Amino acid sequence: MNDIQPPYKILVVDDEPDLQPLVEQRMRRYVRAGQYRFVFAQNGVEALERLRADDEIVIVLSDINMPKMDGLALLDQIPKVNPNIRSVIISAYGDMKNIRTAMNRGAFDFVTKPVDFDDLKLTIDRTLQQLLEWRDALGARDRLVALQNELNVASQMQQSILPKRFPQDPSYDVFASMKPARSVGGDFFDVMRLEGGVLGLAVADVSDKGVPAALFMMSSRTLLKGAAIGLGTPGEVLEEVNNLLCEDNESAMFVTLVYAVFDPSTRKLTFANGGHNTPALFDDGGNPPPPPLPRGAAPGPWPGPEDGDGGNSTRLPLTGGVALGLVPGLKYEQSSITLSPGDNVVLYTDGVTEAMNEDEEEFGMARLEGLFSESSPSGARVVNDRIFDAVMEFAGDASQSDDITCMTLRAGGRDH
Amino acid sequence: MELTSDNTGGAVIVKAVGRVDGANARDFHEGLEARIGADGESMVLDFEGLTYISSAGLRVVLLVAKTLQQKDAKLAVCSLSGSIREVFEISGFDKIVPVYTDSGEAVSGLGL
Repeated sequence: MNDIQPPYKILVVDDEPDLQPLVEQRMRRYVRAGQYRFVFAQNGVEALERLRADDEIVIVLSDINMPKMDGLALLDQIPKVNPNIRSVIISAYGDMKNIRTAMNRGAFDFVTKPVDFDDLKLTIDRTLQQLLEWRDALGARDRLVALQNELNVASQMQQSILPKRFPQDPSYDVFASMKPARSVGGDFFDVMRLEGGVLGLAVADVSDKGVPAALFMMSSRTLLKGAAIGLGTPGEVLEEVNNLLCEDNESAMFVTLVYAVFDPSTRKLTFANGGHNTPALFDDGGNPPPPPLPRGAAPGPWPGPEDGDGGNSTRLPLTGGVALGLVPGLKYEQSSITLSPGDNVVLYTDGVTEAMNEDEEEFGMARLEGLFSESSPSGARVVNDRIFDAVMEFAGDASQSDDITCMTLRAGGRDH
Repeated sequence: MELTSDNTGGAVIVKAVGRVDGANARDFHEGLEARIGADGESMVLDFEGLTYISSAGLRVVLLVAKTLQQKDAKLAVCSLSGSIREVFEISGFDKIVPVYTDSGEAVSGLGL
């Protein structure tokens, strides 16, 4: 919609020939000052012709009784030509019936004959002010709709690349989910079955939000998939993805991600980290996970909270890589651990640990690591759901500012 | 998030106070760009009063570093609190942008 600026064009519609010179004379000052411009028509039909030919007219000032088409019929027609025009009716003094009809048909205001030009000036200014505010609001609404459309596109892109089904295998259990923030961000995850029954797992967080971030996320995910299928080790995969993302990355977008390869036959997990939160490991009981061994003499599979030192969680060893897309030619270290049956590795984004409650406290690593100290979960989905539930409960009514993504790999499959 | 700046000793020292997240990353960017000085004048971001920085905020730090590089100037950050330091370390940004304990050290570290 075009912005409207002074002089504001006003169409005066009256069949009486003496109104035009009167308006021109009494309003001369304002016309000279560049506030208004007046154009004239003799009846409703002529008025509509003018309106169709001239989209600069913002106010119609119309008499009621006119030949061909009267002012009330004109009021019905004006919105069909331009819904953003405001109409002011000139009526005989005390003609409440017509004034009411005019107001019901959308007239913004009325003045009475004989016209008091001071009052007319006030009425015109008040109408203009309302019109300007209305058009401002319309412009804001249009911008909001455009923004919303953009965010919807980005959100659909983000959702469309996430795996919805996960490999079913007796020797491991894997589950992942993402809860997007209202303003679309750039988390994604991937679970890939690679050659030789090996599993590739990734959780990633793209900087910034909106369509550019979503596009960057798409290319990150595609490059990662390509590199993973090429059967590189996690360190080599990150190196390759980093180099490709660095090409033509003028906008300085980046992605942090953890990529891990799990071999179910040996339960060996090899991982590399590009500037991402270090994955957490929850073992199947109250003891610290291996290493260090031994696991002690805990008899049952799920010892109580009093068992051990209260910590059944740890973080995977740091490999200390830089976020991807920033500096070409970097090497990414990798590290390996061998999981025991029942161990759960949790890959997550900072939406989990940085989730805030209404007091602006963060959920934090300590809460995450404390989640499974009292009872150990029986499957990957249970772990994932419990983390989401805990974060949601913690956040309460505080608004979610970032995507929350969590993936759990449980070695040794689900308990039955 | 509020920015204040001070040009003494050949570098622009910008103090950022509060949170930088996706919602105000653009303001953060514009505020920093507006404070970039003449060619060759480096910038130090003093994050002592910063309580939170999201990835969108980190990206701004990087964009400003690029802009400064084109003007033969450098960017350093200093006075990172615990959680901000952690973000820099986890993301590997501490390997891209030099980190100093305080602004004095940053200024001398930049060789000014």
